[in-house]
Amino acid sequence: MVHVFKYKEYNYIYDSGSGSLHECDDKTYDYLAYKLGESSAKPALSEAEITSIEGDLKALEDEGLLFKEEVKTHPAKSNEVKALCIHICHDCNLRCRYCFADEGAYHSAREFMSEETAKKAIDFLISNSGNRKVLEVDFFGGEPLMCLQTIKNVVAYARAEAAKVGKKFLFTTTTNALLLNDDAIEFFNAEMENVVLSLDGRKEVHDAIRKTVNGKGSFDYVIGNIKKFVKSRGDKHYYVRGTFTAKNLDFSKDVLFLADNGFDSISMEPVVTDIDDLAIKEEHLPAILKEYENLCDEYLARYERGEGFNFFHFNVDLEGGPCLSKRVSACGAGNEYFSVAPNGDIYPCHQFVGDKKFLMGNVYEGRLNSDIRSTFAENCLFTREKCGDCFAKFICSGGCSANNYHFEGDMNKPYGVTCAMMKKRIECGMHVYARKNALKNGVK
Amino acid sequence: MIKTIAKPAEKKITGCGECRSTCQSACKTSCTVGNQSCERITREENPEKSAK
Repeated sequence: MVHVFKYKEYNYIYDSGSGSLHECDDKTYDYLAYKLGESSAKPALSEAEITSIEGDLKALEDEGLLFKEEVKTHPAKSNEVKALCIHICHDCNLRCRYCFADEGAYHSAREFMSEETAKKAIDFLISNSGNRKVLEVDFFGGEPLMCLQTIKNVVAYARAEAAKVGKKFLFTTTTNALLLNDDAIEFFNAEMENVVLSLDGRKEVHDAIRKTVNGKGSFDYVIGNIKKFVKSRGDKHYYVRGTFTAKNLDFSKDVLFLADNGFDSISMEPVVTDIDDLAIKEEHLPAILKEYENLCDEYLARYERGEGFNFFHFNVDLEGGPCLSKRVSACGAGNEYFSVAPNGDIYPCHQFVGDKKFLMGNVYEGRLNSDIRSTFAENCLFTREKCGDCFAKFICSGGCSANNYHFEGDMNKPYGVTCAMMKKRIECGMHVYARKNALKNGVK
Repeated sequence: MIKTIAKPAEKKITGCGECRSTCQSACKTSCTVGNQSCERITREENPEKSAK
């Protein structure tokens, strides 16, 4: 399908069938928007102008870059497990109000994964990984740094076991940085492919939600640790990752605050919660969509000044992006990616942990519930009917199954509020792509 | 006037499964496949950035 959109004075045409992005003048935009039914205003164009525009459109169509039929390829069937999210502990040294994980406890007892169970999880991954050479594990919690020694031992074990069978591991850790000392920093820099550090932005925003067990804001405890870590990180991957809620709809200020503090790889996510005063609701959308534009404008202004930073959601790789098979199969949760709870129980992903309806097995058994796995394996972009006429479908892949389930009660029913934010971020990402290209080519 | 800004690179191999799991990138809540790059293309263009 073809989608036209404006970003300030710029007009864009995105063809989801070919994945191509085009820029056009106002007359072409008005003509195409009317033709596609995206605008009811019939443009006043002469016969010659219409002929010229139709000629341009036809030329692109002939090149396969416009009105290209969408391929309905279902994901390749695979039984290979490629990644695990290991919940190394279900306990946390913070008590963040919005925590989807029940402040680290996942609605159950606070507990730590034993080294033996973690090693069993590694064995499970290796033995179920088929021909895949590169395996991935992220250490998640709770707060993983409460179990640093276990993580160190498990990483050493995984590397040794993988080497025996010609495989490799990529590790990620998500942390609140409260215990991010020199020892942890050294270990992370040596072993972690990626580190995700939670920081919500401005001190007052962060402290309002992310509190210590004693009820104090945690900003002052973590900011120095994160700065020290980032300074030591070199060119290795990391993300300083914030969450915004209904309390800080001006979240662009938080992203820019993070950039001003020297963090050049940033992510800012809408909260996933049903807590009434924090939850993102439909009534917040106009402010949020405007805020993404504010962020996009400043992001590009900084880029132009040579002060650019990486904002996760504006990265839309239009040329070297994933293949169609990946785009239709989405994140792979419940089929090639699983979460392991501290007792070894296996769930489709971290957002399903603790929900017994989704319990798929245990690393000590080594088997997976084939019914649940089949359900997740068959879930794909094409099972989400609502996505059929959305321009963003091959970029968002039908959204997060867990979010869909938690908000709409159905993994195949995307949540409208999330969709609206996603579409705006994608349009901003496309605008960023176009403007960066123009700047590289010396065009303002 | 229409100017093409981007068109996807042709992929010699698809569905190889070598790309990173989407949920391991940054967010853990708003995973977006389109924010990722094809691991093969990235590796072929930047061999030094390939998995260790």
